[in-house]
Amino acid sequence: MKFITIDKKDWAKGIDKSRGTYQLFGPVTDINGCQIKALDADVQPEMEYTDSVLSAKSVLFPQSEKILVTSLNEADDDHHIMKRADGDYTPRAVIGIRPYDARAIQLVKMNFDTEDYRDPYWCDAYEATTFVGLAINKPGPLDFSTSTGTGPFSEDGLDILLADMDDKFLAKVLTPKGEAYAAACGFNTEADAKESQVLFDVMRKDAEKTISSSVETDKLKDKTILDLYEAPFWDDVAFSCINCGTCTYVCPTCWCFDIQDENKLKASSRFRNWDTCMSPLFTRHATGHNPRGEKTMRVRQRFMHKLKYFLDKYDSGIMCVGCGRCVKSCPVNIDIRQVCETMNNYEKKE
Amino acid sequence: MDTCIQKIREIAGDLLEKGEVERVIGFAEGSIPMATSPVAISTKEDAQKLCFSSTCGLNLANYASKEKGKKIAVVAKGCDSRNLVTHIVENQIDRDNLYIIGVPCPGMVDKFKIAAEMGGEITGFEEAGDTLIVSTVDDKKELNKQDYLRHNCSLCTHKNPVLFDVLVGEEVEEQQLDNAYPDVDAIEALTADGRWKHFEELTQNCIRCYACRNACPLCYCPTCFVDESGPQWVGKGQDKTDVDTFHFLRAFHCAGRCTDCGACVEACPMGINVRDFTRKLNKDAQDMFGWEAGLTIDKRPPLDAYSPDDPNDFIK
Amino acid sequence: MGNLLEHMGIEKDRVHFSWISSAEATKFVDVVKEISDKVKALGPNKKFVKDYS
Repeated sequence: MKFITIDKKDWAKGIDKSRGTYQLFGPVTDINGCQIKALDADVQPEMEYTDSVLSAKSVLFPQSEKILVTSLNEADDDHHIMKRADGDYTPRAVIGIRPYDARAIQLVKMNFDTEDYRDPYWCDAYEATTFVGLAINKPGPLDFSTSTGTGPFSEDGLDILLADMDDKFLAKVLTPKGEAYAAACGFNTEADAKESQVLFDVMRKDAEKTISSSVETDKLKDKTILDLYEAPFWDDVAFSCINCGTCTYVCPTCWCFDIQDENKLKASSRFRNWDTCMSPLFTRHATGHNPRGEKTMRVRQRFMHKLKYFLDKYDSGIMCVGCGRCVKSCPVNIDIRQVCETMNNYEKKE
Repeated sequence: MDTCIQKIREIAGDLLEKGEVERVIGFAEGSIPMATSPVAISTKEDAQKLCFSSTCGLNLANYASKEKGKKIAVVAKGCDSRNLVTHIVENQIDRDNLYIIGVPCPGMVDKFKIAAEMGGEITGFEEAGDTLIVSTVDDKKELNKQDYLRHNCSLCTHKNPVLFDVLVGEEVEEQQLDNAYPDVDAIEALTADGRWKHFEELTQNCIRCYACRNACPLCYCPTCFVDESGPQWVGKGQDKTDVDTFHFLRAFHCAGRCTDCGACVEACPMGINVRDFTRKLNKDAQDMFGWEAGLTIDKRPPLDAYSPDDPNDFIK
Repeated sequence: MGNLLEHMGIEKDRVHFSWISSAEATKFVDVVKEISDKVKALGPNKKFVKDYS
């Protein structure tokens, strides 16, 4: 573990230097606000952003990804045999990722990288990626990350954690991947580790103190699934929901996808696209039967998955990192903090 | 505004107490500044939850049509009432089952514009007449509401409900516009390539969450064409042509029906002005048929009626 | 529909609507000729075309 000081005057030059070996992703502002995007060669990551509309999950898990290809031409020997599509898994780095987004990627990893199954697309992308986090000195009003097992200075899932100190960044290099990235940038002014850690701790405490929003999840574990499932409050929670996919798409921990084939002439490609449990199509069977045919069932599913099923299955807390994006973006203001409170405090009436 | 909220609550409470309606659909305060949430109230006590402000930007007609067969009351701004009319005309709601609590509308505010002005995340929002008092962690500003109206509200000529059973406030003055479609004209003035570029950029960040469609009272098809799988009409990924096909065809399905209520833009998490698609059709309906949607239950919409003097000059 | 396509930047001459009776063979030929001449003059369309690569 070491600390590096990076003078902001040298920052852009270092970032540019790293482009030789890394494809860069980072926050940029366009007409619709801040987005985490692949950075063109002349674009620097914006290190003073409040938050991106969508999370950084798309760096590893694009909204549309071609996964398999095949030929439909029966003259070809290997026609109709699906083969993995070409993907670019050369080193990439995501600069300025928020600590809670990095934590979210660790939660998503539990799904894509298990002992039994390994999603090759996500895992290859994960291995190719260096996560350069930016600590949040001034958390926003919707940030409740400290009560979800992460926080503005959380190091979980990061290779480097940067702290903005006005004229410079203080970088805590956490992994060999992080070291390699710092070297590629030519950032090598080492800072005293002990002093730097003290500085980090002070800044972390200051940042955490400004967080006023939180959720309580302590009682969720002891509830039985069926009690929560059959609880009477779901119709009220779901009434205003319009069943758009906004909450799931902006969510850094939502990992569900749909598979689609697209053919042109004799070439066929198989894609996976983000899917959303808010859509009736998500569960509609080929027969036409839909086990989650009603809006209330779908809303319940989202919260039960995040706040109960995940918690029970992995014993790693809830499947929410407290970024507040769904609270902010929901067109009808369904607030996961309120739903969590309702679930946490629910007692079945005998 | 406060007296209007009081009246909404009283009327809703009365209707529920007397059993004249099963539910009252209105707006409730949200959990964060500038947010409100559609709510269905079924007891007199709960009627106290109802509110109204310049942040009630969604269209409640969208909820009313989903309560089929029930007697309901709906809190309706000018545009909501026009969509209720459209629903009645399109047989989505039975007028006899509907009680309209009309609210003369002061105009809704553009949340993206206010957020952009403030720079940081909004921590407080209050209204005092035409003054908006908005705060962030480090800043507090007083803004003139008229400068931060949503674009559709700034061009609205039907602030007063067109159909109602009771009005909860004095009718507001309707504005007269020399040109109701300056935005459409501005796009029309571009070259073909310029217009194409405009729409390409407009939808560049669309994530196909379909919030625009789902917030729209007009989009009540049991299965939307983008969700159809046999046959599949449009690709479901992020291909730009597929994204634009969705927006283009959805807009077209709204031709002659759209009231420009702005719920689509209000709901979009990316802040895309999808009205750029529908506004052109509204203008065409106006120019070709002298038609504005949702003004009366006595007339069929132009695309639903045959007329020998139909201006069909586009047919060769 | 033609108007909205034109508004989005698809050139007007690419989209044609016609009402031709099955007895109007000459009109059909004339219209098809007119359409193909106009589209040829515009050249290949690059807008609203899906790239499958």
